[in-house]
Amino acid sequence: MVARTPRETSVNLSVNLGGLAMKNPVTTASGTFAAGMEYSDFVDVSALGAVTTKGVSLNGWEGNASPRIAEVPSGMLNSIGLQNPGVAHLKSEELPWLRGQGATTIVNVSGHSFDEYVQVIEALEEAPVDAYEVNISCPNVDAGGMTLGTHVPSVEKVVSLCREATSRPLIVKLTPNVTDITEIARAAEASGADAISLINTLLGMAIDAKRRRPVLARVVGGFSGPAVKPVALRMVWQCSKAVSVPILGMGGITTGTDAVEFMLAGATAVAVGTANFMNPQATVDVIDGIIDYCEKQGVNDVNDLIGALEC
Amino acid sequence: MVDIIAPVLANHQVGPRLYLMTLSAPVIASNIKPGQFVHMQIPGMEGHILRRPFSVYAANASEGTIEILYQVVGFGSDRMTRLTADDGTAPKLIGPVGHGWAAPEKCERALLVGGGVGAAPLFLLFEQLVAAGVDVTVVLGAQTEAALVCRERYARVLSTAGCCAENAPLCATDDGTFGRSGFCTSLVDDAIIEANASGKPFDYLAVCGPEPLMKIVSGQAAEANIPCQISMEKRMACGVGACLSCVVETVNGKKRSCVDGPVFDAQEVAW
Repeated sequence: MVARTPRETSVNLSVNLGGLAMKNPVTTASGTFAAGMEYSDFVDVSALGAVTTKGVSLNGWEGNASPRIAEVPSGMLNSIGLQNPGVAHLKSEELPWLRGQGATTIVNVSGHSFDEYVQVIEALEEAPVDAYEVNISCPNVDAGGMTLGTHVPSVEKVVSLCREATSRPLIVKLTPNVTDITEIARAAEASGADAISLINTLLGMAIDAKRRRPVLARVVGGFSGPAVKPVALRMVWQCSKAVSVPILGMGGITTGTDAVEFMLAGATAVAVGTANFMNPQATVDVIDGIIDYCEKQGVNDVNDLIGALEC
Repeated sequence: MVDIIAPVLANHQVGPRLYLMTLSAPVIASNIKPGQFVHMQIPGMEGHILRRPFSVYAANASEGTIEILYQVVGFGSDRMTRLTADDGTAPKLIGPVGHGWAAPEKCERALLVGGGVGAAPLFLLFEQLVAAGVDVTVVLGAQTEAALVCRERYARVLSTAGCCAENAPLCATDDGTFGRSGFCTSLVDDAIIEANASGKPFDYLAVCGPEPLMKIVSGQAAEANIPCQISMEKRMACGVGACLSCVVETVNGKKRSCVDGPVFDAQEVAW
């Protein structure tokens, strides 16, 4: 099978996400695309706006027990537990491959402590990376095991530390499992984020009534897929009013129209996540769908869509 | 791997909750290796977003077709039973996926053990081994006679294969309606003892079926010092190795059943 690229168009698709130049507004949601190698039979990774790699920690994590996923109406739950082989592996295997393919690369950085985030970034500063996306949805030992991204002082601290560690574009990925996401968005911006990305998965649960047991080994997990799109759109729209840094929007995007909706709500770029599992060519289908929309609507520059919602 | 639209050519019930689907998938039919699978998007159930993995039971490269034997266990497989050749919808298939069976190079005598629908993923391997002149013994287990839906196909090949000492599969049913009454593991014990007594012991064992069966048979193989492979089925999302949903615990850490498997050496699995 020939790896697909988007179709030709005269529409300007290039966007700038907080200093990261993207040839089109579409990247992958961390954890749904590995580092792209697994999808290389289906899509030409260099044709994407960027590839966002799976969350990487310093020394690697084992991840959670199985079952790790559950299918739910129009979506799924996962509790993979950020299984990854560590930053050295990413540097020696995946990043050189991505560079060889000519891909623009965003590395998603995870940590269980404030120091770990910094150490991961420091380990990557000489590597071919175009931007970092900081996952602040990890449980953090320094924060007493709670999720960093739900607590303003913790967000300020981790973002500030990451900011000091790099001059590369720094994207902070927000969890939606908070009362007021704009408060977290503002904290990230004030602490030096060049862009914010949202939403990470919503905390959910599935139960097997017959067995009277949870479906996931870890009981709760992250809810994603088309079902979460209305929540994600609402949060992107709220955040676009609250901050001036650009937004990488995601949550249930499976078509070009979905992507356009996120851009109208204020996103500069979008990420395709769970849709990759449904359709291994989803990323290119979304780009083609954006092109279709622009051509039909007479939009010459995709940047004209950003925040163009009329309300 | 390809991602193709595969029209349904036939789809009918062959046993209790058991169905056989024939799909037109020329690229997959000519490239599939025994033990590999296809990852199917079943049309008409868009609210159920994930694909389902199915082992390929049989493939016909010249006709460009593959067959899938499936059991109705949930919404997806129930929906599959309603796909027909002329309803205008067609599943999408990613395939061929995964590492399949790998018999030792100098394999002379093999034992294949299929429990329930686990008989299907062994059939391409069976054909391959027989074509290579290997003496193959087949053990099949099912709940009841009507569920022994692969038996005749195996029997047809065995009855004409000059290389095989057994000219029919050895069968066991839980309810005793066909073959030995009880689990097929006792047939495995007997087959191993007989092969040893004949002076031509098994040098390869492949087992596919429910996990408890595969665990027991792996133990039987280990005790008899026979290299053994199993085929793991785990809940999957992407089917291409990216999402890490389908990991299997092995002595070498977690491995992905979709692309590192589904076939693993039994000794590698941390049961």
